[in-house]
Amino acid sequence: MKKRMLVRKSTMGSLWICHFFLFLTMLNASFFTVVLGDNVSDSYWLLKMKSKLVDPLGALKDWSPIVPMCSWYGVTCSLDQSHVIGLNLSGSGISGSRSFELVTHLTSLQTLDLSSNSLTGSIPSEIGVLQNLRILQLFSNYLSGTIPAEIGNLKKLEILRIGDNLLAGEITPSIGNLKELKELGLAFCYFNGSIPTEIGSLKNLVSLDLQMNSLEGHIPKEIQGCENLQKFAASNNLLEGDIPSSLGSLVSLQILNLANNSLSGSIPSSLSHLFKLKYLNLLGNKLSGKVPSELNSLTQLQKLDLSKNNLSGPINLFNSKLKSLQTLVLSDNFFTGNIPANFCFSGSKLEQLFLARNKLSGNFPLELLSCSSLQQLDLSDNRFEGELPTTLDKLQNLTDLALNNNSFTGSLPPEIGNMSNLESLFLFHNMFIGKIPVEFGRLQRLKTIYLYDNQMSGPIPRELTNCTSLTEIDFFGNLFSGPIPETIGKLKDLVLLQLRQNDLWGPIPPSMGYCKSLQLLALADNKLSGSIPSTFSYLSELRTITLYNNSFEGPLPESLLLLKNLKIINFSHNRFSGTILPLTGSHSLNALDLTNNSFSGPIPSSLAMSRNLSRLRLAHNQLTGSIPSEFGQLIELNFLDLSFNNLTGEIAPELSNCKKIQHFLLNNNRLRGKMPPWLGSFQELGELDLSFNDLHGSVPSALGNCSNLLKLSLHHNNLSGEIPQEIGNLTSLNVLNLQSNHFSGLIPSSIQQCKKLYELRLSENLFTGDIPDELGGLTELQVILDLSKNLLSGEIPSSLGNLMKIERLNLSFNNLQGQVPSSLGKLTSIHMLNLSYNHLQGQIPSTFSKFPLSSFMNNDHLCGPPLVLCSGSKGQDQVVLSNKEVAAIIVAIVFTSTLICLVLLHIMVRIWCNWRKVAISSADGGIGERKREEARWMYSDKKTRNGEYWNMNTLGFSTPSPNKQSPDQSTA
Amino acid sequence: MRWKKTELADMQMGSFFLLAILAFGLVLNVSANTEVEVLYAWKANLIDPNNVLQSWDATLANPCTWLHVTCNGDNNLVRIDLGKANLSGPLIPQLGQLSNLMYLELYDNNISGAIPIELGNLIKLVSLDLFSNRLSGHIPDSLGNLQRLRFLRLNNNSLSGSIPRSLTTIATLQVLDLSSNHLTGDIPINGSFAFFTPMSFRNNPGLKPQKFPPPPPMFQIAPTPSAKGPSSS
Repeated sequence: MKKRMLVRKSTMGSLWICHFFLFLTMLNASFFTVVLGDNVSDSYWLLKMKSKLVDPLGALKDWSPIVPMCSWYGVTCSLDQSHVIGLNLSGSGISGSRSFELVTHLTSLQTLDLSSNSLTGSIPSEIGVLQNLRILQLFSNYLSGTIPAEIGNLKKLEILRIGDNLLAGEITPSIGNLKELKELGLAFCYFNGSIPTEIGSLKNLVSLDLQMNSLEGHIPKEIQGCENLQKFAASNNLLEGDIPSSLGSLVSLQILNLANNSLSGSIPSSLSHLFKLKYLNLLGNKLSGKVPSELNSLTQLQKLDLSKNNLSGPINLFNSKLKSLQTLVLSDNFFTGNIPANFCFSGSKLEQLFLARNKLSGNFPLELLSCSSLQQLDLSDNRFEGELPTTLDKLQNLTDLALNNNSFTGSLPPEIGNMSNLESLFLFHNMFIGKIPVEFGRLQRLKTIYLYDNQMSGPIPRELTNCTSLTEIDFFGNLFSGPIPETIGKLKDLVLLQLRQNDLWGPIPPSMGYCKSLQLLALADNKLSGSIPSTFSYLSELRTITLYNNSFEGPLPESLLLLKNLKIINFSHNRFSGTILPLTGSHSLNALDLTNNSFSGPIPSSLAMSRNLSRLRLAHNQLTGSIPSEFGQLIELNFLDLSFNNLTGEIAPELSNCKKIQHFLLNNNRLRGKMPPWLGSFQELGELDLSFNDLHGSVPSALGNCSNLLKLSLHHNNLSGEIPQEIGNLTSLNVLNLQSNHFSGLIPSSIQQCKKLYELRLSENLFTGDIPDELGGLTELQVILDLSKNLLSGEIPSSLGNLMKIERLNLSFNNLQGQVPSSLGKLTSIHMLNLSYNHLQGQIPSTFSKFPLSSFMNNDHLCGPPLVLCSGSKGQDQVVLSNKEVAAIIVAIVFTSTLICLVLLHIMVRIWCNWRKVAISSADGGIGERKREEARWMYSDKKTRNGEYWNMNTLGFSTPSPNKQSPDQSTA
Repeated sequence: MRWKKTELADMQMGSFFLLAILAFGLVLNVSANTEVEVLYAWKANLIDPNNVLQSWDATLANPCTWLHVTCNGDNNLVRIDLGKANLSGPLIPQLGQLSNLMYLELYDNNISGAIPIELGNLIKLVSLDLFSNRLSGHIPDSLGNLQRLRFLRLNNNSLSGSIPRSLTTIATLQVLDLSSNHLTGDIPINGSFAFFTPMSFRNNPGLKPQKFPPPPPMFQIAPTPSAKGPSSS
């Protein structure tokens, strides 16, 4: 510690020097101090304070014993120069923590202003000794802790502003003792608890600011005691309950801000007594009911915000009464009806009117055209309808017009072109029709024009390119036709050009390259043609370019390599050709989609420079070569679609680094090699399609780790071996297609765990054994169950009858035997069934009669409609018969059986009649009785069956059945 | 460093800042594909702890590359497969705008709230599987508009009210399961309901039992062939 001995100089002859006669060197102090009597002088404390402060700007550099204290920066002395009565260090850049306590020794202080610094620490309770303090301003520091209750001792305090600090805790009720207080600022802190009722005893309070705290509970009705209050702000707290109607007695109030609390109930009509009110903000509460019409008496009111509440009823506020009104915000409520008549008046000062997101209806309110000072008008998200008035241009001061999300119809009035101050025009999501008036070209200040989601048509007028202030054009989803104006290049400030989903045709004008501010260009879903002009290389700000679904063609200009900021490119579904190399200039690509073009050549490995690339879609082109191993660097890659190209070689093992892959689509190429086992490490994998390649080897069992896999398509490869049991781990799987490979062995029973499968194709393989019973558990199967063209044997499990949703079932070309389980007859969703080319036999379910014969052909012995009816005896008709033969046989059988039946019946009846005669004449009645019983049983049996047969016969045959007649005969 | 510098001068700032956002913070139109908008809006309402909806990216032109949805060849959404996905949150009315939807598979989740009336606009729907969720409220009458519906499974929810008679007009209805709910009133017996057994309605304490036993199912096993009759006589 360095000690400096300084001899007191009195060269300046200042008065204050004589008051100090003793020089002391304080222990551990690095400066000289002056003491008066046994009281340490103010300058001592100030210098000590300085020593504790960090003063990066040197604000306190003249605070030195060699300079008279009363001329120190920020110091005000009493008249006799003996005491410091004022200290103002506001905004001097000082910081420090424990310096504050030292101030409390300056007992003569009347004004203390340390605001807007970086002071830390808490407000010491010793502050209570500064009995002379009238002004205490500590706002905008980093003070923490609570407000000491001793602050209530500062009886002379008039101004207390300590907001914008880290202060917390409850507001001390002792604040009610500060009877002289005029200004109380406690905003932007962390105060909680409720507003102390004692606040009502501050009769002299003019300004009360409690904004941005965590105050809760009700607004105390005692606040009416603050009878001189002019400003009251308690916004952004957690206040709840009603707005006390006692607020209405604060007749001096000019500013009332209770925004963003949870206040409920209705707006008290007593607020109408606040005849001096200029500013009333109740936005973001839960206020409900109607707005009291009494508020119309607030003739001084300039700004009124009631938005984001639950207010309802018609708008009953009138600018013609609220004559001073400049801003009226009623957005986000449930107001109904239209703007009331006589809303405006000739001297209106209303500049801002925001009525968005209500339930207002009717035509465009013509009444508003009289509010001639309107600058901003927002009627969006309501239920307005009808055409816009041609007199809209009466609103000559309008800069912003938002009419979006309504049901306006008709065409846009050309008179809008007269609204020369217009900067933004939001007309989207309506039902406007007709052309863009050429008069719009006069809107020299127009920056933003959103017409999207309408039914507008005609060309985009060339005149629009005279609006050289334009920064954003969005015409998405209209019926605009014709070419893009050749003069589009005049719009040098254009940032956004959205023309997607229209009927535009013709080429992209080369001048578009001069729209050098362009960041987003969307021309997708049109009928545009030609090639990309080479001037596009000037669009160095371009981030997003979408040209999909047009008829663009030709190679890309090489100069596109200069576009270094591109993030999103979508040129899909065009006829572009040549190399894709010009699109690799940017290393910031997020998404590149060139699906369905005629691009050729290899996939440039330089695409891997865009480390944030997440979507890469190059499907349906004529790309050749192998998949660049550099793609292993694309660790953000999520969607890789290279399908339908002519890619060759093996799947590079480096791709195993792309752990975020969700879609891995390499199908329809000529890829070779084995199916990589590292695919099992893709935890996000949802869709894997390697179909139509030349892959061989087996399916790696590690694939079972891809528990999020939804679609697995490996069909049409040369894969072989058994399906790993782990397939059952793919519990999310919706689609499994292994068709046309060389898979062998059993169909794994674990497949039953893939409960969400709705499509399962295992056809054209070498699967053997039974169809597992467990397949019947896949009750979500819907699109198809295709097991055809395998070597499956055994019977069809009856469990397949549980596949209630199945629409197509193909078991053809196997070695299936036995009967078709009757349970399959319940599958009424089936509209395609193929059981042909098996060894099935027996009766098919009757519901199968709706299927063609081809569904069943080439089996051993199937019968029942639509096939031949089943005969009782088995083992006949082993030969496979043609349809004609079958039909012929059916007819023959029916005919002969009918004949036989008739003959037998005839014989029987005759025998019976003869026998009856004999029996009646016989002495032994017991035997006769028994026979009769037999005959009666026979008779009744026939009768019941007859009904069934009748049904059958009318369905299948036109020849009358003998059975129909038999009862008659038997009763005859 | 600190944006909130002055105290009282800021008094009005907050609200006007907000006001400016309200009026001019209009979101740029990125996508106007109805299906994208609807599904994305629904996603915004759902709690998805397993992140199964991660791929639902609203900036895409259509939802066809999203996971858990399936499009037809015309890029129209035909299936939503989100069974057993641990989702919670409501169904939203906008789902009724998915006009090509055929399969809505949302079983085994924690989906709550009412079945939106608007689902009755999904006239191509073949399967509506909302079973094993936490749905409450009534079964909307509008579901009777789903004249191609074959599978309607609303079992194991907390649905209340009566079974809408309109459902009996769905001639295609094959599988109906309304069991384990809080449904009340009569069980319809006419129309397509003639074929459903008490199994479809069990565990609804407030449902009155069917007055008549349901007739045999529509597709009865055919009687033994005619050839047998004459030969046995």
